[in-house]
Amino acid sequence: MRIALVSSAVILLAVVAIEAQRGTAVLLVNLPAQARISLSATSVTFPDADPTTTPLVASVPVDITISVRARVQPNGQVTLTVQSTDDLRSGVTVLPPSLITWTVTGSGFAGGILSRSAPQLVGRWTGSGVRIGTQNYRFENRWTHPTGIYSATLVYTLASP
Amino acid sequence: MSARRRTRRGLRIGRLLLILGLLAAPAVAGAQQLELTISPLTVTFPTTDPDTAPVLIAAPVTVQCRVRANGNRSWLLTVQASGDLVASQSQIPASAVTWEATPAPPFRAGTMSSTQPQTLASGTGNVNPAMTGTVTFRLTNSWTYDAGTYLQTLTFTLSTP
Repeated sequence: MRIALVSSAVILLAVVAIEAQRGTAVLLVNLPAQARISLSATSVTFPDADPTTTPLVASVPVDITISVRARVQPNGQVTLTVQSTDDLRSGVTVLPPSLITWTVTGSGFAGGILSRSAPQLVGRWTGSGVRIGTQNYRFENRWTHPTGIYSATLVYTLASP
Repeated sequence: MSARRRTRRGLRIGRLLLILGLLAAPAVAGAQQLELTISPLTVTFPTTDPDTAPVLIAAPVTVQCRVRANGNRSWLLTVQASGDLVASQSQIPASAVTWEATPAPPFRAGTMSSTQPQTLASGTGNVNPAMTGTVTFRLTNSWTYDAGTYLQTLTFTLSTP
């Protein structure tokens, strides 16, 4: 009896096995760490103004929209900094970049004071994602500033250590 | 009933089951011959950032299947992921993978699932000579994915349900 049942079971298993064929494949995707920053304006100007009535001059455009996209390791840190490459320069006349400050909107963005000696934090986040905020520059206007057209280049750096 | 009789009776029943099994087995096993071939066995998505490529498209996969002596019975080819795409601590949901397939019909487009097999092709009767389909897998690309190398196994099943 036991032998017969075993035989029948073997036959039934054989039938079931033939009713389906299987094959496998492996999905593979390698996503490297990547980061990208975009700014809505690549130059801002501070229009001339009377220091008495306008001690802080807002930039034109007022808002720079910053879009930060980063793909990092799990819980990786993402930082955005800005640094002036030089003083504000008008020929041989210079003004310190610290006369320029900024405020921000948006989660993770930070206000600060411009520097030529060290990058200053504009934003810090944890993990991958897209972050969008605005930055508003202001220039400290004083009667003591020599007249001239001053300019400087700012470098934004998006990094994930 | 003596032990000898019980043994004889058991052997008779065993023989009967064996004969029934042998009669039934060729009728089914001989009638259904399913063949399934997948190539290549690794589906690799390209590495491109989400701004450039919102959808990552892998090289086409060739699926070859044959169904013989199936009568008027239906046949079904399904695909299922063994889980989400996994890279150490990070995951991308299996549903981020979709596919397009030709010729349609019998092949059809779909969205990957790790919980249920999804129909890749279906029909009735025989598929002889073998039919070759081309399946192009697509992965929704996103900045929110963590960096890493993601893997998952796909199981293709050809059956006559």
